[in-house]
Amino acid sequence: MGRQLAMVMDLNKCIGCQTCTIACKRLWTRDEGMEYMWWNTVNTQPGRGTPRDWEQSGGGFRKGVPKPGALPTRREFGDAWEYNHDEVFFGEKGPKAHLQVKGEKPDWGPNWDEDQGDGDYPNSYYFYLPRICNHCTHPACLEACPRKAIEKNAENGIVTVNEDRCRGYRFCMEACPYKKIYFNETKKVSQKCIFCFPRIEQGVANACARQCPGRVRFVGYRDDENAPIYKLVEKWKVAVPLHPEYETEPNVFYVPPIAPPRYDENGDIDESSPRIPEEYLVSLFGPPVIEALATLHDEMAKARDGQKSELMDLLIAYKWKEMFGGFDKDPATIEWVKS
Amino acid sequence: MQVDFVGDAGIDVLLDADHRVWGQHPTTSVPLLGTPVGMQPTAAIQVAWMNKKIGTVDHVDVAALHNGREIAFRLEWSAATESSDVSDNNSFPDAAAIALPVSPDAPIITMGAPGQPVNAWYWRADEPQGARQLSAEGLGTSLTFDQRVIQGRGSWKQGRWRVVLARALRVESESPVAELIPGTATGFGVAIWDGANGERGGIKAFSGNWLPLELQAASGERNA
Repeated sequence: MGRQLAMVMDLNKCIGCQTCTIACKRLWTRDEGMEYMWWNTVNTQPGRGTPRDWEQSGGGFRKGVPKPGALPTRREFGDAWEYNHDEVFFGEKGPKAHLQVKGEKPDWGPNWDEDQGDGDYPNSYYFYLPRICNHCTHPACLEACPRKAIEKNAENGIVTVNEDRCRGYRFCMEACPYKKIYFNETKKVSQKCIFCFPRIEQGVANACARQCPGRVRFVGYRDDENAPIYKLVEKWKVAVPLHPEYETEPNVFYVPPIAPPRYDENGDIDESSPRIPEEYLVSLFGPPVIEALATLHDEMAKARDGQKSELMDLLIAYKWKEMFGGFDKDPATIEWVKS
Repeated sequence: MQVDFVGDAGIDVLLDADHRVWGQHPTTSVPLLGTPVGMQPTAAIQVAWMNKKIGTVDHVDVAALHNGREIAFRLEWSAATESSDVSDNNSFPDAAAIALPVSPDAPIITMGAPGQPVNAWYWRADEPQGARQLSAEGLGTSLTFDQRVIQGRGSWKQGRWRVVLARALRVESESPVAELIPGTATGFGVAIWDGANGERGGIKAFSGNWLPLELQAASGERNA
């Protein structure tokens, strides 16, 4: 087996600004038929996510056997609303026309339940969960396709749709438990995150990672022992995959979130239990998240005491370019070839 | 099934599914079966369709005519709803196809085999004025190699699809194409997809083994 590219996202640093989302949108999903696609999403957790309730939509495997999955509608993805721009800007209606969505009033959007979260004041909580395709080691999409139209690159593990072979059957869309495959109704093919392979091939990190103002995302090969991915995933074991029980072996990993402490009924700090319930984080990241949190707490305490912590230095990412596992070239150096 | 010779019918006549010439020649009712779930090419498809009906269309009325230059098949079947758009992720179009053997021993059940291609003419309701030509050498291997040679016309009226698929009798192609020669016999198969039932790819109703197809000699006399 060849090497595998991976991403680590530090959820303690994500501020939900959607710069990653827009970086991806502007680069890859501006063509006709792609209006509703967000290969990168950032949702508030706990929340229903994008597409709505994707965590309850099946797919993936259970004990190695494929699990049937749903085909989310465009509306469940949030769709691409159309606005009455013409009316407002050129309709000569002055203050009588207001900007609004054309047609039926939407009841869902790609970031509909932003900042709602869960819990009761003053102990309410939420965090942001950015998601891209997990470029799985055991990709349910690839295995579901009857036409062998989905390929996993032997050299870097990036999973892509071969649009020449794809006939738009959408078995992949059903099979992906993360619901990160999109159907393009204009081209009649399935499309998905390509891990910015045309950038990667020229030594430039993914747009979502490079544009992130919070230094949330690390990029690189999983087996590069001197780079952050290996250190966070294998050495420190503080980065864990989302929903490992789907059995697709994701290659995107998350540093779990730690919220400020709880308050008790007297308004005093109560450190007897965390603000974000551990069982909730286990439901997302599996039991290894407990160990990961413990390690993070230990290392944070060390750093607070003035001791050296390799892990904290790594997560702070003092040197921005070191986050990218060698894919640190300036995007301005890319030679784009139009096909 | 006999393909009658209609020397004075031009291609425009043959492509008109409602033209009276079709009513002047026999139609064969071909029973269809759902493709077996165990033969679906991936485990995910097998699991997803384990307890679902595959192949809701149980028969298709087929007629075929040739004019010495072109051959046309007219397929007619009942479809309560017209599924002709792909405007949402969970909508699939109705579709129909004719399969023809390229080599005489090509197995139709597996859509050909390595070295034994099957040639298919494929029409889909979201592109009703056209058709694709495909070849396959086994399940999951179908490849569209041409979108011009096969002519297709389909329309849905009062709960029924009428689709015509036509091609020149003689075509020169580097891809595997079935030979169709007046005065000789070959085989054919039919498949129908019910979009409303989520049928696509190998999830379809099909006619089983090759059915006989006899092309009347261009003189109009019966084959010897």
